[in-house]
Amino acid sequence: MPPKACSRACASAWQARLDAMDFIVTTLLNALTLISILMLVGLGLAISFGLMNVTNLAHGEFVTVGAFAVYFVQSIGGSFWLGLLAAPIAGAVVGCILEFAIIRHLYSRPVSTVLATWGVSLILQQGLELTFGLGAKPVTPPIDGTFDLFFTAYPAYRLILIGIAMATLAGVVLLINRTSFGLDIRTVIQNREMAEGVGINTRRTYAIAFTFGAAIAGLAGGLVAPLAIVLPQMGVNYLANAFFVVIVGGVGSIGGLVAGSVFVGGLTSVLNYQISPSLAQAIVLLAAIVAVRLRPNGLFNGASR
Amino acid sequence: MIARDRNWLLIFAVCVVLAVLYPLFADGYQLTVIRDALIFGLFAASLDFFWGRTGILCFGHAAFFGIGGYIMALVTLNDAIPFGSLLGIAGAIAGAAFVAAIIGYFLFFGGIRGSYFTIVTLAMGVICQQAAISWSSVTGGDSGLIGIPPIAFDVGGMHVDLSQDLPSYIFVASIVAVIVLALWSISRGRWGTVLTAIQDNEVRAAALGHNAPLRLLVTFVLSAAIAGLAGALYVCMAGLVAPDLSGLLLSTEVIVWVAVGGRGTLLGPVLGAIAIQRTQQTISSFNPSLWPLLLGCVFVVIVFVLPDGILSIYARLKSLFKGRRQAQ
Repeated sequence: MPPKACSRACASAWQARLDAMDFIVTTLLNALTLISILMLVGLGLAISFGLMNVTNLAHGEFVTVGAFAVYFVQSIGGSFWLGLLAAPIAGAVVGCILEFAIIRHLYSRPVSTVLATWGVSLILQQGLELTFGLGAKPVTPPIDGTFDLFFTAYPAYRLILIGIAMATLAGVVLLINRTSFGLDIRTVIQNREMAEGVGINTRRTYAIAFTFGAAIAGLAGGLVAPLAIVLPQMGVNYLANAFFVVIVGGVGSIGGLVAGSVFVGGLTSVLNYQISPSLAQAIVLLAAIVAVRLRPNGLFNGASR
Repeated sequence: MIARDRNWLLIFAVCVVLAVLYPLFADGYQLTVIRDALIFGLFAASLDFFWGRTGILCFGHAAFFGIGGYIMALVTLNDAIPFGSLLGIAGAIAGAAFVAAIIGYFLFFGGIRGSYFTIVTLAMGVICQQAAISWSSVTGGDSGLIGIPPIAFDVGGMHVDLSQDLPSYIFVASIVAVIVLALWSISRGRWGTVLTAIQDNEVRAAALGHNAPLRLLVTFVLSAAIAGLAGALYVCMAGLVAPDLSGLLLSTEVIVWVAVGGRGTLLGPVLGAIAIQRTQQTISSFNPSLWPLLLGCVFVVIVFVLPDGILSIYARLKSLFKGRRQAQ
């Protein structure tokens, strides 16, 4: 609180400082929202692109499917939370089918994987458009209103989103580091032949890991649905950004995922205040290309090389 | 001359004869349809020159097509610039080559190959489209620029005006024929052999003294320059330019043309582009949203059924019959 015997000039200086704090906290929270979403979308890509060496261009559609799952559940009268439960399940189902029908036959043909998954992405987009019709789909957030932080009031739903995303990420870290399935995954990543030699079913491990990544991307789609414009084509934006998260951060570690998300998400949120969103997007991708040139092994792995 | 080269030249000659005879049977509208398809065929050949020879997939080739188109549009729409058409074409080629040189330098000398290159070029396409939309004071934003005049220039005292259907068809067809022939002779010569060596094993090729990143870069720049030329030609024929021309859908369509026509054949992609566009127009005429769906299915089918393109059906049938005969 300002001191009681404060002059008018002093009071306005105090107010200016409060405004600045308000701006900083809001920007930080906006950035954190975007970073959370990018981390969830990037997680699946880090598994498929970074670890299994599969370039899955249909990954953005997992996000779309998750968002449409929430819309669908709400449109038949269900609550948002029920929809949020359906989102990762929808993502997992699509991911599982994709892995079984296409990706597992193409592990040794990277360019073919690119073409086939892009084809699947087009099919999914048009399929959603034919099923649900043209135009943006409305998704209502579970709670309206703001939450009063000390410096500023911030939309409550975004705070919940950040919380769920962080909890999910923590859960994934625990899963990979503390469970026997996580041990299998880490083994397969380090040396596939050796893992097969000690009796791990690598095909099944890949399939489950891929499905898992798709489920997380679906959850991200469900979480972002009330904030974003829900369209069949919405996935492409997340696809390009998520790939850069993985490439910039470096593959193979949760730390790299976080570093990449902070780089891409942070830069996008800060630039969005200054310039138009399309230009901001363009500049972020350009910066990412330069970052890849300077640190080919990723921001996070660069130091330990 | 080895048999494969002879076959290629034979097919090329047949195509040229067909292209020469076509105006005798076609009316003006059909001529313009094939002319536009040929321009996209040139675009497909430019991608094939890079993808087919290096094995590295560029997922944002439409960026160069779009850059060429926008430069052409801006130059010819500006009345202050003399020789608009020729300078526009030169600028389109130079602009696309310049962008490719910068991006290619960062990527090839940074050791980026394979899937990483594909992803970065995909993002490059997204960037170009976003830039075309957001820089609306220059590019006209979402709606693009309209009223681009047809190509017209003076050469050796003769005035060339391509506003009519037949002259523009002849102009485009001869450019496509010359460039495809030139690209073919480059890629079957020493340059192409070294590129194949780099594709097979870059470390070994480098150990033999070949500067692999530089070779890839020059090939990429050449490929982009031709894509820019194709963009410039298209814009003049269509009379308008829009952000879609550098968009992701065109980038993917050109990949389908190359994959269907047969990667690495240069002529196949041109034929693939013409065939698929005719199909697309037929399908879109009764349901426009069906086309992307079919395009997706084509991608999946190609990968599993025809990994070497439509022309490989002939080779497969031949080997099938040979096998039968030997079995008997």
